[in-house]
Amino acid sequence: MTTPKEIFVKIDKCMGCHSCELACALEHSKSKLLYNAISEHPEPKKRIYVEWMSQDSRMPVLCRHCEDAPCMHACISGAISRTEEGVVLTDKDKCIGCWTCVMVCPYGVIGRHMEERKAYRCDRCPDRDVPACVSACPTHALIYETVENFSSNTRKAASKELAAGHGG
Amino acid sequence: MTVEQTRYVIIGASAACMSAATAIRESDSCGDITVLSMEQEMPYFRPMIPFLISGKKSEPEMSLIGNGPFKEPKIQIRTGTRVTSVDTDNKTVTVGNSDSISYDRLLIASGSNPFIPAEIKKMSAEGVYSLRTLGDAKKIAARSSKTRRAIMLGGGLLNLKTAFALLERGLKVSLVVYSGQVLSQLMEPDDAKLIHKALDRAGLEIITGCDIKKILTDKDGVKGVVLSNEKKVEGEMLLIGKGVSPNVGFLDKSNVSIDRGIVTDEYTAANIKDVYAAGDVALTIDSLTGKKNISGLWTNAVEMGRCAGFNMAGKQTRYCGVAGILNATQVADISFVSMGIVHTKGAGYETHIAETQKAFRKLVFSSDGKRLVGAVFIGDIERAGLYRYLILEKRNIEKIKKQIINHQLHYGHFLQ
Ligand SMILES: Cc1cc2nc3c(=O)[nH]c(=O)nc-3n(C[C@H](O)[C@H](O)[C@H](O)COP(=O)(O)OP(=O)(O)OC[C@H]3O[C@@H](n4cnc5c(N)ncnc54)[C@H](O)[C@@H]3O)c2cc1C
Repeated sequence: MTTPKEIFVKIDKCMGCHSCELACALEHSKSKLLYNAISEHPEPKKRIYVEWMSQDSRMPVLCRHCEDAPCMHACISGAISRTEEGVVLTDKDKCIGCWTCVMVCPYGVIGRHMEERKAYRCDRCPDRDVPACVSACPTHALIYETVENFSSNTRKAASKELAAGHGG
Repeated sequence: MTVEQTRYVIIGASAACMSAATAIRESDSCGDITVLSMEQEMPYFRPMIPFLISGKKSEPEMSLIGNGPFKEPKIQIRTGTRVTSVDTDNKTVTVGNSDSISYDRLLIASGSNPFIPAEIKKMSAEGVYSLRTLGDAKKIAARSSKTRRAIMLGGGLLNLKTAFALLERGLKVSLVVYSGQVLSQLMEPDDAKLIHKALDRAGLEIITGCDIKKILTDKDGVKGVVLSNEKKVEGEMLLIGKGVSPNVGFLDKSNVSIDRGIVTDEYTAANIKDVYAAGDVALTIDSLTGKKNISGLWTNAVEMGRCAGFNMAGKQTRYCGVAGILNATQVADISFVSMGIVHTKGAGYETHIAETQKAFRKLVFSSDGKRLVGAVFIGDIERAGLYRYLILEKRNIEKIKKQIINHQLHYGHFLQ
């Protein structure tokens, strides 16, 4: 099996443009067309949240699909499980809207769909090759990669910067 | 040389048992795991049983194995098998009258049973139930079809959930609560105002400050009650929700140390070698108050069971205890969470309360104001997990206190 990819965040690159949020909500709308999605009811929900860290720093926050996911162990109806690709998914049919997952998520990224009484969060866009938020990010603050490639690329970039710093 | 298989025996087949079995299997691929359960059904998600009463879910939809984190861990489950005694000297468990089963490691995960006040026990009649098992749910569902009004005693979460299941079925429901409010374990009277309003809107009749003095019956069983204020309430079913007590009766003649529940150490072990306990049957220490506590939470049973499983399979894993209160739920049209220390009257905590028509927020800080120790959110429970994390990790929150109080906290603040 090939190693599954994950969504990584490069905090220093986020400009806070909210493109990821829009793309996420659109991908999870009924029509997937901006013009129609705006007037859909219930309104399409985003699963990524751009937050202010300080005056000049922002970052997108989304489900980390934790290794030993607290939400999965805490769920009182068995609705949350991990796929072979490492995606922690909430099965809508099984969710009973008790919000235990909302209470235990240490990232605060599980939302409540009140019209449906179901919990929702990032599903890594099962219908797409690259998740919508990643495709939409103009500054490559969101990266879709395997852990190995992401960390080796990060290491390479860091050594390049270091080398440039020393040389200059 | 043959490799000796470790014989693991687990009493109980619910949350604590199944997460322990999964954990044992993760660390020991060939040990022999035998599960003994007095219930007739295969393991199921206990908190879902009210849905059998409302008719929203069927029995197969509640089944536990193969759902969520519960894999099929290659175990032998003996349902309908009641354990009658445990002999820790000879390392055996007796089921039924004589059948004895040997163990190398024993996990007691027998959970708890509804507590029935002695006065009620004396008066018991057809149609008086407590909801704890799927079997109870089936009986309640069956009686519901010939019930116009159900009378419920006790204002805890279990009774509220059951009340809603009955309302959804079209029954009328009267809830009798001795204290002046519902959910008194999870919040203070003033905090519960929005919940009371939501219950009113949903059509639940609440009778406060009363107890049940007499149960009225005819040939079909219950037909009403007389309250302590002499008023009569007619109803064909009476449901008791006065809390639970640990299932430890079968340990009477054993040397296992009991203080309400089974006394456990930080590795989930009982006082006798190779005996462990987890879940509702275990006495633990509240990680926030330091007081002895029986958790009564599914989430804790899973976590503690997992620790016990690892410890039994030889992988030392510390159990960090749990906060006595860690509840989230939807009551009628309103969501709420209650976490950590929430009863503050007369204690030296620093509390901050914010109220609107639709939402209530109470934040409880330690007396020096440096730690968040509890929170109640009603209506808006967004990002409750961040607050839970701060409470359980006992983090110093001085730098982000403003954001906590103003409801602006997000994950980015943890990275600063
Ligand atoms: C209606 C309802 C709703 C709930 N909602 C929530 C919720 O929203 N959130 C939450 O955190 N918790 C909730 N709970 C509480 C939660 O279900 C319990 O905390 C949890 O089930 C405890 O798990 P356990 O494994 O310790 O034991 P239990 O689930 O109590 O299971 C005990 C097991 O032991 C077996 N057993 C007992 N005695 C013997 C014996 N002598 N011989 C053989 N077998 C025996 C039983 O057959 C059973 O399999 C709810 C409970 C109920 C009833």
